[in-house]
Amino acid sequence: MDIAVLIKQVPVSNNVSVDPETHALIRASAEGMINPADLNAIEEAMVLKEQTGGKVVVFTMGPPDAEKALREAMAHGCDESCLITDRAVAGGDTIATAKVLAEAIKKYGKFDLILSGALSADGATGQVGAMVAECLGIPHVAEIQSIQYDEAVPDKIDAVKKVYGERFHVRCALPAVLSVNFGSNVPRLATLRSTRAAKNKPLATYTNADLKLPADQVGIPGSPTAVIDSFEPTGGRMAEMLEGTPEELAVKLKNMIDEEKGKL
Amino acid sequence: MEKKKIGIIGGGISGTCLGYHLSLYDNAEVIVFEKDTIGGASTAKSAGTVCLFDDSLKNRYWDVRLYGFESYLKMEAEEKGSAGFDKTGTLVVATNEQVEATIKTGIALAKAAGYSGEYITDKDRIKEILPDISTDNILGAGYTADDGYFDGTMISNTYAKKMQKNGGVIKTGVKVTEVVVKDNKVTGLKTSEGEEYEFDYVVDCTGPWSKFTGEMVGVDVPIWHTKAEAFFLCPPGKKLNYTFPVLKYPEFYGLRAGDNIFICKSHLSMDLNNPMHAGQWDPDKLPATGGTDDYFIDFLLDQLEVKVPGIVDSGLVSSWLSYRAEPKDFLPILGETPVEGYILATGYGGNGVIEAPAASRDLAKLIMRGESTPLLEDWAFKRLLG
Ligand SMILES: Cc1cc2nc3c(=O)[nH]c(=O)nc-3n(C[C@H](O)[C@H](O)[C@H](O)COP(=O)(O)OP(=O)(O)OC[C@H]3O[C@@H](n4cnc5c(N)ncnc54)[C@H](O)[C@@H]3O)c2cc1C
Ligand SMILES: Cc1cc2nc3c(=O)[nH]c(=O)nc-3n(C[C@H](O)[C@H](O)[C@H](O)COP(=O)(O)OP(=O)(O)OC[C@H]3O[C@@H](n4cnc5c(N)ncnc54)[C@H](O)[C@@H]3O)c2cc1C
Repeated sequence: MDIAVLIKQVPVSNNVSVDPETHALIRASAEGMINPADLNAIEEAMVLKEQTGGKVVVFTMGPPDAEKALREAMAHGCDESCLITDRAVAGGDTIATAKVLAEAIKKYGKFDLILSGALSADGATGQVGAMVAECLGIPHVAEIQSIQYDEAVPDKIDAVKKVYGERFHVRCALPAVLSVNFGSNVPRLATLRSTRAAKNKPLATYTNADLKLPADQVGIPGSPTAVIDSFEPTGGRMAEMLEGTPEELAVKLKNMIDEEKGKL
Repeated sequence: MEKKKIGIIGGGISGTCLGYHLSLYDNAEVIVFEKDTIGGASTAKSAGTVCLFDDSLKNRYWDVRLYGFESYLKMEAEEKGSAGFDKTGTLVVATNEQVEATIKTGIALAKAAGYSGEYITDKDRIKEILPDISTDNILGAGYTADDGYFDGTMISNTYAKKMQKNGGVIKTGVKVTEVVVKDNKVTGLKTSEGEEYEFDYVVDCTGPWSKFTGEMVGVDVPIWHTKAEAFFLCPPGKKLNYTFPVLKYPEFYGLRAGDNIFICKSHLSMDLNNPMHAGQWDPDKLPATGGTDDYFIDFLLDQLEVKVPGIVDSGLVSSWLSYRAEPKDFLPILGETPVEGYILATGYGGNGVIEAPAASRDLAKLIMRGESTPLLEDWAFKRLLG
């Protein structure tokens, strides 16, 4: 089974402030990491690849330094990668982002399955996966916990969802897009060896010259979303400093926990 | 007795340890200024190893090593956890005769001070202590069960607490923005809060920031940053079934961190002329985690494959980068500068946890009594001038 995984590079730091003029997010730290839910998507892909063979290709749309996230994904086991980077596609909202990703997937090749994270840690709309499916005209299952594939039914897949503590199996035709929940599995770690090997795995770079999407469909011109307001959370630091001997502190802590439990 | 007012810039292990040692004198009035949190910078990223013998600090500075080690043991005995001691023991591997000789002298010194220590050439015995090691191409290894590593952040906070008990003052979240100098003599400093303080002495304990701090008084502090890149490895079986000791090679060292293993390139293997290793950067731009270079992966893989093959296929859990502040000879810079009353306690490089107690003890004596010591003579600023 050939699988595409969509990953987003998100800032490591939570210190994100808001530009009062444009309402855009200002990232304090240049350091990026793979969106946590996307690591769960990669893990699902790796497990399926072990079961069925084929290859896993990881896609991201982002600035040139998002290559780091792709290399890391390949250190986690993905075979190939594709970076879509172009000023023309920057600043896009979810729909503009999804159009670009869908076009890149089509251009790259044929895939049996496309996985995304359920939610990004920064934008957090949870829309991109579904929109990519819409652009490709294929089914989508949101917020899944795991995937079951039966070789006897090769053109279908079971997406397992958890609803009110119950597990639901949603069977859908392939190809499809599935959005994987954060924490649904334990992603394998990269090793020194796999990190070194990832440096030499294939990385394709696309610009909009390759995708040929009309300029008014991508980037800021292609984004119908208007962010009308955004603000930093208020409330400030709520930490309460406890004082006393270790024994006294333990008693105080226990009382505080009991008190909180009472409120539930 | 006339009071002496001392302002300390920086609340890492250097500043808090010096603050504590000064607070032992009745006539010292000490304020420590820390722009962030106590022990939250280089000190927090430290491995915190204080071993009875290894090559990190020459055997001629045995007193420094022993005073550091015993200060922390005492701290830990007073209140468990206050120095974060993890008594894992240390295995120092002899890869050549020179290292072997250093280890043997170190063991003799440790034993004379009442600690255990043995030089082992029986390779099975070495493998008993560290099953994942390769004993090919080694001469032997020094081992003691008595030491291990400490937690620099815990130590800094304990020193801060002890200093406060003795009347010292800590100001966290306060940055020193100006050091006031009149007629080439320090008179005080100004802070980000817009306050001005009068001091007889101002001590720079800002480690990697010292270049910038020195500029405030026109002193060129000759330190470089060497990259301290550390990785946390999750062993292939997820959990080790033995106590991973502090493991020292001339090129790198390792220690246990919970169920993981912390690995760092040794600071003496850093080359100040190699731009991959050393330079002068802005420590405020260091990310909390990550930021390590690719070359380090290659380095570590090559090292572990040969030396500790049992853990080479560990998972990479996380990594971080920090800057060690070092002058050209990799020794600290302590004491007076060309500006009267402006004192340095910086340049601790890769040994700040080991060295801070002895250095602070002597520096406090210099500041409070005007008495120098052989250690201060050795590590004086003037050795680096001209
Ligand atoms: C109020 C607001 C302000 C914003 N400001 C900014 C800003 O200043 N700068 C900025 O860069 N973005 C900003 N964004 C987010 C921007 O719209 C998103 O980068 C993009 O549209 C993806 O949306 P999302 O982060 O909500 O992803 P979600 O829909 O939550 O992500 C779900 C999954 O889709 C996939 N995915 C998402 N984005 C990508 C991608 N780029 N490449 C590959 N896969 C992807 C991943 O698998 C991810 O787990 C903002 C969003 C909002 C709501
Ligand atoms: C990965 C690594 C491993 C190490 N391993 C060991 C080891 O095993 N054993 C050992 O002995 N040593 C080790 N070291 C070295 C040791 O950690 C350092 O030498 C020591 O922590 C330096 O302490 P410091 O107080 O000088 O600097 P820091 O801890 O960096 O403290 C300087 C402080 O000054 C503050 N500051 C700067 N400018 C201002 C200003 N203008 N106003 C107010 N505050 C200011 C900063 O916020 C900071 O908190 C290691 C270091 C690293 C990075």
